[in-house]
Amino acid sequence: MDYSFGIYVIQAAQGLVYGMLLFLVASGLTLVLGMMGVLNVAHAVFYMLGAYFAYSLTLHLGSFWLSLLISPVIVGAVGVLIERFLIRKTYTGGHHQQLLLTFGLFFILGELVRVIWGTAPLEVPTPELFTGSIPLMGMIYPTYRLFILGFSFLVLLGMALVLSRTRIGIIIRAAVTDAGMVEALGVNTPVFFMGVFGGGAFLAALAGVIAAPFLSVYSGMGLDALLDCFVVIVVGGFGSLLGAFIASLMMGQLHSFGILWVPKLAIVFQFLLMAVVLILRPTGLFGEKE
Amino acid sequence: MRGLRLDTLGRGIAIILLLLLPQFLPLIYIHLATEILIYALFAVSFNLLFGYGGLLPFGHVALFGVGAYVAALIFKHFPGMYLPLTLLLTALSGVPIAAIIGFFCLRLKGAYFALISLAFQMFLYAIAMKWRSLAYGDDGMTVNRPDLYLPVLGNLSMRSIENVYYLTLVIVAIGILACYLFLKTPLGNSFVCMRERDIRASYLGYDVFLTRFTVFSASGILAALAGGLFVFFEEFVATSCIDLNMGISVVFMTVIGGPGHYLGPVLGAAFYIFFQDWISSLTKHWWVFMGIVFVGVVLYFEGGLVSLFTNGKVRLWASRLKGG
Amino acid sequence: MGVLRLENVYKDFSGLEVLCGISLEIRRGERHAIIGPNGAGKSTVFNVITGFYKPSRGRIFFLDQDITGWPIHKIARLGISRSFQITSLFPKMTVFENLRNAVVSKLNHRFNWTTLLNRSREVQRECERVIESLRLTSVRDVPACELSYGWQRRLELSLTLALDPFVILLDEPTAGIDVKETRSFVEFMKETTEGKTLVMVEHDMDVVFDIADRVTVLNNGKVLVTGTIHEIRENEEVQKAYAGRK
Repeated sequence: MDYSFGIYVIQAAQGLVYGMLLFLVASGLTLVLGMMGVLNVAHAVFYMLGAYFAYSLTLHLGSFWLSLLISPVIVGAVGVLIERFLIRKTYTGGHHQQLLLTFGLFFILGELVRVIWGTAPLEVPTPELFTGSIPLMGMIYPTYRLFILGFSFLVLLGMALVLSRTRIGIIIRAAVTDAGMVEALGVNTPVFFMGVFGGGAFLAALAGVIAAPFLSVYSGMGLDALLDCFVVIVVGGFGSLLGAFIASLMMGQLHSFGILWVPKLAIVFQFLLMAVVLILRPTGLFGEKE
Repeated sequence: MRGLRLDTLGRGIAIILLLLLPQFLPLIYIHLATEILIYALFAVSFNLLFGYGGLLPFGHVALFGVGAYVAALIFKHFPGMYLPLTLLLTALSGVPIAAIIGFFCLRLKGAYFALISLAFQMFLYAIAMKWRSLAYGDDGMTVNRPDLYLPVLGNLSMRSIENVYYLTLVIVAIGILACYLFLKTPLGNSFVCMRERDIRASYLGYDVFLTRFTVFSASGILAALAGGLFVFFEEFVATSCIDLNMGISVVFMTVIGGPGHYLGPVLGAAFYIFFQDWISSLTKHWWVFMGIVFVGVVLYFEGGLVSLFTNGKVRLWASRLKGG
Repeated sequence: MGVLRLENVYKDFSGLEVLCGISLEIRRGERHAIIGPNGAGKSTVFNVITGFYKPSRGRIFFLDQDITGWPIHKIARLGISRSFQITSLFPKMTVFENLRNAVVSKLNHRFNWTTLLNRSREVQRECERVIESLRLTSVRDVPACELSYGWQRRLELSLTLALDPFVILLDEPTAGIDVKETRSFVEFMKETTEGKTLVMVEHDMDVVFDIADRVTVLNNGKVLVTGTIHEIRENEEVQKAYAGRK
């Protein structure tokens, strides 16, 4: 098959968009995992809720940008409530209880979404500002995707700045390496946990909102995101943000080129990647052995 | 695991009831009972890994699904095969798949183990969906139940749901008994002792990975057998045999029934089927309620239904030592 | 002739060097104590010997066989057995069942799936013998989680001994035990490790002086000195290292 160079670039750009979105979702999961030791299976639901709320808010308020503002806040609040009233109960119970709880929540929330919004896929219209496209490499490239790239990059930058410059960022970094540090640093742990959890939910929902016009909103998106996030964590290393970043980008490319080469079973490549990493380096590319 | 407060008399009564069921219950209940039995076998195989081994493979349903498809393909392409042989082949088909999945998953612990096995299941699900010439996707494929020829009893028609019930009862009983006996062997003991203290077990000379790999692969037998029975019963196979909903249902059944006892999942299967039956007549969103019950049990009723019958509290989640 | 030998062993954790060139030799049949201030790396030495950690550098030899990097269970089966500072028993199993786990392993029945465990006379007999010799008959059927701390420590030690090991590594065996009970516990230890090679990490100096033939002092991941009790007592550097600490 003879593909022109342009197609490769377009696909790579597509992969980059997908990768960045994936990182936005996975980063929340990684932070919660690294700092609280909780692998929140239900995390992908926050992504889904973000998208679905975006749909409803855009529909009723008429503005995508408002929903971009409001949806993550709502979902973040939901995250805080879930941590406070449900997850918190499992800290003394051991990992299986926590796992089953988050798994059950994933399922219940997924079902609730289906109950409230139905099972048919929903369309969130691309915001007016970015409905055009620009010529790129001899092809037409939608500007909205450039927006996603730019926006995710900004969020990423913001995260990096917060983590390296602010006090809360330093605490977060310390907590990722050593969860006990949080108390030693005089931070109110319960509040901290609620904040981290809610923050992760916020990020995931943010990704959900901006992904909505691009990927469309459907009831299986939680599960797809969950599996993708999970491969990212396995490949990147548990609790490593850098690892999650690299792995997300890799996943994005695999997803994009996988669809190009083997459209029906693109999932194979992601799978193979995970299997290879598991054999060669079970703790992930950037993970640390316990 | 503390014993049930059922004495031999109680067990005898239960067995007699099970045997006489079709005589005095309407057809619809025989249907339900058969369904419960099949799910019970599936859940027992899951609980072998979860309750007894401390392993939580969310994707265990992959083996159920493999069994279902293997049975369906045999029924379709080799309709004359002797039924017990079909079921035997179905059961054995679970082993290589379980071995492959186990080889990768058992390198990880806890949530990672759970989710990797889920990933494998979704992978197989995707194959079942896309490989239409083999698996017919979500439309599925119907099959016919072959009759069963037994030496003394002659040809038993499997058109009769009563015969299906009895066959299922016998097979499930054997399966659960095998599981029960297995746990009493040294290998079963090895597997269980590494549930809570896998490092200590290593220090006692146990090869944790190899032991778990062996048992994990073997657990595929019962799960695949349950899948085969499912297809035999429903006379239909589709991706619903290997999808997330089926996978979740076995987790729900086991946890609600109680993982602390080998009969817990049986109770869980019965509860699940009856609850589903009841709630779905009230609302089509019965899943949400099932989920709520599940979360409630996870948070507040860790022993599950079976703990209502056992002596003493079953402390499942926290396993810390207390100094006197 | 050295039964266990560490040659220039290093262990670091992401840059933090816990062991910096440990060389150590344990002689057959001796009772060897490893002491040192907190954080000196004592438990890490055990972890490296038994395969829980792989050394970053250096080699470990058991009877002249290189066992560096071997998995835990393989080393355990060679005859190197270890007890834990933080009690690690099988909580829901009874004392009998706990010890039976060790016996099943010792008799190589780990993968046996064709016989019922409680019908195996070989296993039963050996379990009873172990229970008797370790004087645990009175608590035979008590679940481990219900034992008092003192009895748990005894079971912890017994689990280690039930394997009939060649070399016994005890990690702070008297940790947390009542002063009143320490005496009898130490007697128990001495009796049951009679004639075996014993390596012990201990904080309690009285116990060390009572049991040990030779002592190795660790400080900051290095061996300060190895010698007899007497030599160690007189050693100035050791006294300095311990100044102000127990």
